[in-house]
Amino acid sequence: MSGSNNGNQTEIEVRGLNLWYGDKQALRDISIDIPKNSVTAFIGPSGCGKSTFLRCINRMNDLVKNCRIDGLIKIDNKDIYAKDVDVVELRKRVGMVFQKPNPFPMSIHDNIAYGPKIHGAAKKDIYGIVEEALKSGALWEEVADRLTTSALDLSGGQQQRLCIARTLAVKPEVILFDEPCSALDPISTSKIEELIMELKQKYTIVIVTHNMQQAARISDYTAFFLLGDLIEYGKTDQIFENPRMKQTEDYITGRFG
Amino acid sequence: MTKKAQRDQKIAFTALRISAVLVAIIVVIILLQITINGYSILSIDFLTEMPRNRMTEGGIYPAILGTIYLIIGSMGVALPLGILAAIYLNEYAQPGRTKWIIEMAIINLAGTPSVVFGLFGLAMFVKYLGYGASLIASALTLALMALPIIIRASQEALITVPEEYRYASLALGVTKWQTIRQVVLPPAIPGMITGTILAVGRVAGETAPILLTGAAYFLPRLPDSIYSQFMALPYHLYVIATAGTNIAQTRPIQYGTALVLLTIVLSFNMIAVMIRRHYRRKLRN
Repeated sequence: MSGSNNGNQTEIEVRGLNLWYGDKQALRDISIDIPKNSVTAFIGPSGCGKSTFLRCINRMNDLVKNCRIDGLIKIDNKDIYAKDVDVVELRKRVGMVFQKPNPFPMSIHDNIAYGPKIHGAAKKDIYGIVEEALKSGALWEEVADRLTTSALDLSGGQQQRLCIARTLAVKPEVILFDEPCSALDPISTSKIEELIMELKQKYTIVIVTHNMQQAARISDYTAFFLLGDLIEYGKTDQIFENPRMKQTEDYITGRFG
Repeated sequence: MTKKAQRDQKIAFTALRISAVLVAIIVVIILLQITINGYSILSIDFLTEMPRNRMTEGGIYPAILGTIYLIIGSMGVALPLGILAAIYLNEYAQPGRTKWIIEMAIINLAGTPSVVFGLFGLAMFVKYLGYGASLIASALTLALMALPIIIRASQEALITVPEEYRYASLALGVTKWQTIRQVVLPPAIPGMITGTILAVGRVAGETAPILLTGAAYFLPRLPDSIYSQFMALPYHLYVIATAGTNIAQTRPIQYGTALVLLTIVLSFNMIAVMIRRHYRRKLRN
C-alpha cells in the first residue's frame, strides 16, 4: 500500500521498504511521502511496526543484530541507505527523541552542549547555542538559573524537553519522536505537544504514538500501521473522520488495539 | 502471614544476621591480632632500614619497595590492557564463537592457581623472553593474574551503563568511539576502580608467582633496574616465618611485615576509593 500527501514538498520519500528481524518480516512493502515542515503521526497497535519504521529513518536499526532492510528511503532526495552515506552525518540531520527521557548523567548545560561540542562548535559559541536550544525546547525559563545542576534532578517532563532541546542543539532537519509522552503525566504531555506543534515551523516531524487523541491533536498527516503493513495514510482529518479502509476505522473507533 | 511463614522468616533472618556478624568478627580478629602483635616493632627505622643479621634484626625497607614496584608495574600493564579488552568485548565484539572463546579464556584465567602463573612466568618471561629473574618478569606475571579480575569488573561496570545513553548519543550523530569515551566510560569508571582495588590486593599478596620469577630470599642492595631481582613483603614474611633459624625471635618482625603489607594494600584501596568518589560526585553534577 502506498501513501502520498497531496501537494506539499516531500522531505522523506519511502518506496517498497521491507524489513526483517532474522526470518521474521516486520515491515512489508512500505511506501510513503512525508512532507516538509509538518507533523506526521504513525499510529497502530503494539507490534505493528511503526517504531521499527521510525528507526529506519535515522538508521538506528543498523544497531540491531539480524536486522535486514531492502527498499528505498530518500531524505531531501538522497538515498540514506546508499553506500557512500555517512550514518553519523545522517543522524545529525535526523534527530531522535526516545520513549523514556534519557538525559546523560551530566549537568543541564553539558547535556545540551554535548552534541555541538563534539561536532566542533567553537567554545565561545557554546553558551549561545545552549540558551537558544533550551528556549526552543521551552525549558529555558525553568532552568536558566541552574544550568550547572544535574539533569537527572529534573522532572520527567522537563527531562524530555531537555532531550528535545539536546536534539535541537545539533540543528537537525528532521526530528523523530518515538512515543515521547508515554512515560509522562498529562500536563507534561500537553507541554510537549504544544512544543511539537511549534517546532514544525522549522523542522519536519514524525511522531510514533499509542495515543490516538494525541495524533488527532497535533499531526497534519497520519499513517496507520497494522502487522507490518501501512494500511492507510492521509491528512489527519480525513483518517479520523472519514477513513477509507475498514481496519483503520475499526482501530480508530476502538474495536481493537 | 501464616504461623509457619512467620517462623520460617525468623529463622532465615537469624541465619543471615549470624553469617554477616560472623564474617565481621573474623575480619576484626585477624586485623586486631596483626595490629597488636606488629604494632610494637613499627618505627621509622623498621620501615627504612635493610634487614640485618640474617634478617633477625633491622628493617624491611627493600621488601616494601619491592612490593610497591610490583603493584605499580603490574597495574601499569594490567589496567590499560584490561579496560581496553573489556571495552572491546562489551561494546564492539559481536556475540559469537570468538567472543565466547575469549570470555571462556578469561574465566579460566581467573580460576588458575597462582603457582601455575608462576610457572608460566618462569617459562615465558624469565626464560623465553630472557628477562631473567627480575622485577619485570614478576610484574608481568602478576599483571596476567590481575587481568581477569580487571576485565570482569570493567565488563560488569560497562553493562550497568544504561543502553539509553548510548542510543541518545548515537542519535545525535556522534560516533561510537566518541560515545564510549564521553558517555559510557564516565559512569563505568567507579565500577572499574572497584575491580582494580580487588586486583591490587591480589597482586600485593601473591607469593608463588614472584617466588618463581624474581623475588629473592635476601638481597644486600636495592634493585637498580627493572631487570634486577628484588625482595617483596609476602615472600619476606614467608621466609622469616618458616625458613629462618630464629622463628620465635623474629616473630615481631613477622607481624610487623604483615601489618605493613596490609597497610600498603589498604592505602592503595583508599586512593582508589577517593578516585571513585570523585567520579561519582562528578556524575551527580
